[in-house]
Amino acid sequence: MTTRDAVQRGGRLLPVVVNDRESETRTPANRLYRIPDAARDPFAPCPPAPVVAAAESDLTRIAPGRPPARGETIAIAGRILDEDLRPVRRTLVEVWGANAHGRYSHVADAIRNDAPLDPNFYGFGRLVTDEDGRYRVRTIKPGAYIARRDISWWRPPHVHFSVVGSGVRLVTQMYFPGEPLNETDFIFLIVPQVDRGRVIGEPLTSTSGDRTFRFDIVIRGRFQTPPDADE
Amino acid sequence: MASFTPEATIGPFYPGAFLTGFSQDLWTVAPLAAHHPQGQPMVLVARFLDSMGQPVPSLVVEFWQANAHGRYRHPEDQSEAPLDPQFDGFARLRTSEDGVMRLRTIKPGAHPVVRGSGEMRAPHLRLTIFASGIDRLITQVFFDDEPLNQSDPVLQSIPDPRVRERLVARRRTGSADAGAASEYEIDVILRGEHETPFFDDWDQ
Repeated sequence: MTTRDAVQRGGRLLPVVVNDRESETRTPANRLYRIPDAARDPFAPCPPAPVVAAAESDLTRIAPGRPPARGETIAIAGRILDEDLRPVRRTLVEVWGANAHGRYSHVADAIRNDAPLDPNFYGFGRLVTDEDGRYRVRTIKPGAYIARRDISWWRPPHVHFSVVGSGVRLVTQMYFPGEPLNETDFIFLIVPQVDRGRVIGEPLTSTSGDRTFRFDIVIRGRFQTPPDADE
Repeated sequence: MASFTPEATIGPFYPGAFLTGFSQDLWTVAPLAAHHPQGQPMVLVARFLDSMGQPVPSLVVEFWQANAHGRYRHPEDQSEAPLDPQFDGFARLRTSEDGVMRLRTIKPGAHPVVRGSGEMRAPHLRLTIFASGIDRLITQVFFDDEPLNQSDPVLQSIPDPRVRERLVARRRTGSADAGAASEYEIDVILRGEHETPFFDDWDQ
């Protein structure tokens, strides 16, 4: 490596998740390259938010009027904020997770997992944030599942979140407080200790109805006001 | 200074429904619609490999690009180049079992680095990459028949020409798609000896 190469690289060296074969074979071994300052224009995609039906944020029913999914219904609610802590308005939030038994409705999970499917739970939904960057989803508290039997690696209950649009891009996972499996999960443990509170939902007290977790998401990048619909 | 929500992998069970929630073919605005975007239809065939040289299936790429005139549908792009009503420039695709995806899109136009500047960005596609085992990765893909590559500030910021070349898609002769004016191919190697360069978009 030349000196200039080393300077230009200057970006992060991405950590590898211990015992995760896919992380070990897919994580770049070289440092990331810094983007030249002059060209740091919007790298984050800014797709127009799709039109999303209100029912898509309720994962507990596969269609309005159908029976509820098995397990404990929970709500997850919060705000999406940019690096200046301004609300990210009208951005798409996609949410997915396992069912109460720890099984995903994904063909790839059928190979590994003998936990049952729930005919009334697909485990994915989406919504668009409001003018204050707020979102709320109803889902089922996901079950834990075993990621690698040979080393007894269990994944704790978690819900996947994706935020795309309005000049920000983030994929993360929300964990639940007080779960002993959090402490032995390699994907949770790769989060720097100081940031772990950021990925644990905060139980809200004195709510009526569903048990609710607050999960605010703060994303690097500056929110850009989307153009008006008729622009 | 705020602290940020850490990123994480999409894991192995990313819902297929999210793929079809966005366009997967930027030639077509709707089935049987007579409307089409402006510019030259092209195909990018991208193959994704791991450190063992094995194809990476179920990898998700979000493509983001300028239209044929070099304009992004982004509120911060205030250039005078026109928007194309039929082109948003965003597509989300997944690799097949052989680690390959085919993007049908419009060849993006060149555009100034910043508005009014004489310095130009070569035509390129912006890729955001997700897969089980990795967090979000970003990079850009260029085309081997574009003279502006020689002065593109992002491509040329990679000092080693052999590394730089790994971001340049090669033009193929012919295309399996009858409507394609050009077809390009590229291997993206996530880790290993011929590793593709990836960029860091965090502030330093």
